[in-house]
Amino acid sequence: MPLLNDTYALFKREMLIFRSNLRTNIIRSMIFPLVLILFFGNLGSTTYGVNVAIVNYANNPQSHSFINALSSQRTLSIVGITSQTNALSMLQKESIDAAIIILPSFPAASGGAPSVDVYYSDSDAQAVSAILPFIQTQAQEYGGSVGAHINTPTSSLSDPPSSPASLIPLYGTNSNYKVFLVGGIIAMVAAFGTVFGGGISIITDRQLGNLKSFLLAPINKLSIIMSKILSGTLQSMLYVMVAIAIGLLDGATIAMGPLGLLWILLIAGMISLGFSGVTTILASRINKVEVYSIVANVIVLPMWFLSGAFFPASSLPSFMRPLSTYNPMTYATQAVRDVMILGYFPANAILIDMSALLAFLVFGIVASVLLFKTHID
Amino acid sequence: MKGIIEIDNLVRRFGDFTAVDKVSISIEKGQIFGILGPNGAGKTTTINMILGLLEPTSGSITVNGLNVSKHPNEVKQMTGLMTQETIVDSELTAAQNLEIAARLYHLSSDERESAIKEALKEAELTDFADAKAGSLSGGMKRRLYLVKTMIQKPDILILDEPTTGLDVQNRVQMWDHIRALQQRGITIVLTTQYLEEADQLCNRIAVIDHGKVVATGTPTELKRLVSSGRVMEVITSLEEAQKVADFLKKKFKLDIKVLGEKLECFLEKDPVDTFGKVLDGLVKAKMPIISISMHLPTMDDVFIKLTGSSMRDAVGTQVSDRSNIMLKR
Repeated sequence: MPLLNDTYALFKREMLIFRSNLRTNIIRSMIFPLVLILFFGNLGSTTYGVNVAIVNYANNPQSHSFINALSSQRTLSIVGITSQTNALSMLQKESIDAAIIILPSFPAASGGAPSVDVYYSDSDAQAVSAILPFIQTQAQEYGGSVGAHINTPTSSLSDPPSSPASLIPLYGTNSNYKVFLVGGIIAMVAAFGTVFGGGISIITDRQLGNLKSFLLAPINKLSIIMSKILSGTLQSMLYVMVAIAIGLLDGATIAMGPLGLLWILLIAGMISLGFSGVTTILASRINKVEVYSIVANVIVLPMWFLSGAFFPASSLPSFMRPLSTYNPMTYATQAVRDVMILGYFPANAILIDMSALLAFLVFGIVASVLLFKTHID
Repeated sequence: MKGIIEIDNLVRRFGDFTAVDKVSISIEKGQIFGILGPNGAGKTTTINMILGLLEPTSGSITVNGLNVSKHPNEVKQMTGLMTQETIVDSELTAAQNLEIAARLYHLSSDERESAIKEALKEAELTDFADAKAGSLSGGMKRRLYLVKTMIQKPDILILDEPTTGLDVQNRVQMWDHIRALQQRGITIVLTTQYLEEADQLCNRIAVIDHGKVVATGTPTELKRLVSSGRVMEVITSLEEAQKVADFLKKKFKLDIKVLGEKLECFLEKDPVDTFGKVLDGLVKAKMPIISISMHLPTMDDVFIKLTGSSMRDAVGTQVSDRSNIMLKR
């Protein structure tokens, strides 16, 4: 197979170059995870506070203790205690995830009727259903009960949120921010590894005439881009391992265990392959490394922020949500978190995440091959 | 006999711009063949097509009887290219550079090993086999590059402006090297914008301008093409130059060009005879002459005659065809 032989020859070249700069490459790959994980990961913040507003109609000692109990845990972040109208309009503007209404009958309503209602919009259904049990427990301590729960004040009514399937624990409801952050960092290290490793080498090879000297040889032209994709992905995966090691040393854990490590590498590999497409699109059109770096940053950094690497994507304002939904990095981040925090892939999550990543991977390879071909012809 | 490279009616257009226009060249085995022309004349475009890097718009090129468009890989296997820039991977060692090149030319592992050893020896880099190419001196890098381009033992070596930017000493060294390669039976095609280089080095020359071949022949043939006459050169002093020129104009009806302290003129008919008379006249009139000489027209004269402009004027006024191609990429 000439294609394989040629790809191997060029791949070997890439890896020899990588090895010859090994120390620099490793140090460079450590800086980012080190700074982010050691610094931000140890801020001591909890991952996720569901923002709630509380309306207290009862206004009795029990209700006050109930509110104290709710706020004592970081699961909830109480934005304010306000009127019902106010709370509902905040909910509609999505400045809060839920409104907890403590009814006048609190703690105990007559005839077993609920004494606490929780309102939330359907877009936050997952987040809120995760905290319902917590509110329930707290309310019960005061002899109250949480209302048949819950209505959605928005026009589009969602499924009954009490259905067990929607009870997906959100990341962070029982984990610390460090593990949450490490998941995001891994996805980003994989993406950056490809975009900056592979892309810059395409540009410098062209500038220095190496590309021409490859084309002079009787090789299959496809092998040039194949070797770039493969070496870029392998390098990304090495960087990912460095990032995982830093995370683990700093106290993050992988809930799935050693098998999880393989999953993470697989996910990292998929996102890297996908980004090789972005890389080729940019590198075949941009002739200067400096310009490339700027453009690549402008594309990759927002993708990273919007993927929920730093904060849950569900806390983005609603107009930005699509940017997160159609962002392949979101799925990589989510999948890595499933591995690290949950230790399993929730029902449909794996299918969604993996098909999104697979689609991105196919896009990456196809775009690379097609574009690179027109680029050298 | 058919040449090792046969270029037949070759045309290459980039949009509206015709870079190479119906070029036909035949290059014989074992020759040093020069393609001479100013920047933007179409030299690099032509050799890129010989190398199979660029598809001709029309026309054909055969190398060793193989059509380049139909058998690009076979042709690539027997050609090598050395460009003006030294292309080596500075992060790799000398041996690794050669190894990758050998792999790209599909040498078997035994062939690879012996080819690398031989190449290192030829480049006098055996002791530096494991040194990173980036740490080698400029000359060493250049030698490494040359053996790297020849790792597959090509029959044909194409040199794209091999001496552009080199100082005189290095240029002469490069010429010696090129001649040594010819001794080994390698056919050499080189492009140059230096008339002197083409004159000194090449067995045959094709002068191209604006994508067209304006003349082909040996250096002497080309020079004869200009004139059967000779160029006479008289050197005198700056102050007396005009006086001498006037004297020669009046007495011998010569068309004298005054170039500072140097006078130049074409002796069209019976140059040897005329030269004798002029020398005699100058001596008798006690003109202040420092030197007087006669020679065949230079390649510069050839170029002016063939293209209507001086080579040196043309240099730099047009975008190089090389950068055109780079832009396209």
